[in-house]
Amino acid sequence: MRNDTLNVIGVYTKTIMKAWFQYKVDAVLRSLAVFLREATGIIVIYFTLLKFDSLNGWNMYEMFFLFSLLFLTYGIMILFFTGLRDFGRTVRDGSFDRFILRPRGLLFQIIFVNADWFAAIGHGGLGLVLFLISAGKVGVSWNLGLALYYIVTILGGVLIQGAIFLFLATLNIYLMETNSLKELFYWNMRKFAGYPISVFHKSVQALLIYVVPFAFVNYFPCQFLLRKEDMGQYPEIFMYMTPFIGVGMFAVAYLFWKYSIRFYKSSGN
Amino acid sequence: MSLIEVNNISKSYRINKRPKGIPGMLANLFVPKYEMRQAVKEVSFQIEKGDMVGFIGPNGAGKSTTIKMLSGILYPDKGEIKVNGYVPYKQRKEYVGSIGVVFGQKSQLQWDLPVIDSFELLKAIYRIPEEKYRKNLDRFVQMLDMGNFLQQPVRQLSLGQRMRADIVAALLHSPEIVFFDEPTIGVDVVGKETIRNFIKELNAEDEVTMLFTTHDMQDIEKVCEKLIVIDKGEKIYDGSLLGIREKYGTTRQLDVEFAGIEHIAPIANVEMVELDELDGRKKRFVFENKQVQINDLMNFLLQNYRVRDISISEPEIEGIIRKIYNGEVITT
Repeated sequence: MRNDTLNVIGVYTKTIMKAWFQYKVDAVLRSLAVFLREATGIIVIYFTLLKFDSLNGWNMYEMFFLFSLLFLTYGIMILFFTGLRDFGRTVRDGSFDRFILRPRGLLFQIIFVNADWFAAIGHGGLGLVLFLISAGKVGVSWNLGLALYYIVTILGGVLIQGAIFLFLATLNIYLMETNSLKELFYWNMRKFAGYPISVFHKSVQALLIYVVPFAFVNYFPCQFLLRKEDMGQYPEIFMYMTPFIGVGMFAVAYLFWKYSIRFYKSSGN
Repeated sequence: MSLIEVNNISKSYRINKRPKGIPGMLANLFVPKYEMRQAVKEVSFQIEKGDMVGFIGPNGAGKSTTIKMLSGILYPDKGEIKVNGYVPYKQRKEYVGSIGVVFGQKSQLQWDLPVIDSFELLKAIYRIPEEKYRKNLDRFVQMLDMGNFLQQPVRQLSLGQRMRADIVAALLHSPEIVFFDEPTIGVDVVGKETIRNFIKELNAEDEVTMLFTTHDMQDIEKVCEKLIVIDKGEKIYDGSLLGIREKYGTTRQLDVEFAGIEHIAPIANVEMVELDELDGRKKRFVFENKQVQINDLMNFLLQNYRVRDISISEPEIEGIIRKIYNGEVITT
């Protein structure tokens, strides 16, 4: 049974790769385009910090380190949750009906039927570059324990963002279209998360900690590794909560999905 | 107990009613008004194993909704469905392995990849054993003459080729029941014939039970033995193809070719149609069975005019169905 599941995941992945490589040049260019689009944001910060030296005590390399987690987690997350990102379209064009007609789990199919490798390579690649540039220059003496902490943090960050995507996808069942909600609650919040959250107004901080908890994707884990002064205003425990919040949020989003799927209405012919 | 049991199912959709104009749009944004539209009203029917049933009705009659409920995509609001011992919308994963569904309007093939890649994917999804997969694939490819485009990307196929590939895709796992939703839409005459023959052969050889919707009455006449007609969500006919002719086919027609150009005076209760606009030699007489005796009409024509040829034709199913849709025939 486990073997069979792995087999079908393998065939799905092979199919996705084959489809991507139908357009080889486009595949390379598109990954590059994503990389460059995201990199421009970093370049702006680079020039700003050349002038100001630091932002609330964070220097350029520390900022890059903060950013790298955001990109790395997104790069991995999008490999698994492309189907959730595009779920609105899947519902509208009737492809979801086809998922229902196949003897496999619905969420399983949504997750493994599609993977946006362009975004994964673009975001993940940028994250990796930023990590390699900064990891040796932020004063972290890496050891096995810290590396483990870092990996678990990435997994937690992936789950936090996956849960947000799953939650927004589930809303599609009720609303048919949730792109503007995603713009508002995901992408805009993510823009804030590129900076140490301590620079923002309390209300924005509260949003990033309690509502769309991007702070746990990169800010608090970075604080565990870097111990900057501005951590003083937050509870210590926040630095250890990322994996738990990830698992918890995903579980809640999954229950919401399970509950909502019975209200699914086919889009009609 | 029948293979497919449908008991009094109903399904309504909630439709957002938008008032006209910009004020209406704004009002709708804050206080949306909904209206329930009943797509299917207390429909019941049974289908036996090996049956080949045509499921027809005008656009918006509720055909697709019914097919979607039968295949487990939609929950009925009321009533029960049992297919092959399963309740489709409750036991989805167990159930869907035993059915195949073809949506003529919506392909399930991978657009950018060769046809064969989609088949390989389905083999994994449905856990089809290698031997069975080979056997089915070889057989279907041969029956539908698909050998020459199996390696071509789907996007390069003609509509007819794509439809054949889609039909095979729905059958690779040897389903016991197949729902076809407009399997010949947009396909040319030759392609339609290929598809019909294939469906017939499969039904005869493998005893596959089939239900299919179409707007092409030729499909029905050539393929189906049983017919279910629905209109405005309600079932209005359920029986044999022959039966519908007997029950509603009350008109007859007489095609007459005259020896010369004749001017024919109007005949009571008989509608006359010119078949040959050029010289008016060929005419069709259409009449109600009950009102006009065919013998009387023939005798009248033969006695009063010079007739070269005469033929009686049965009413076409298409004509009957059109009348039912138009409400010209009262059904009970």
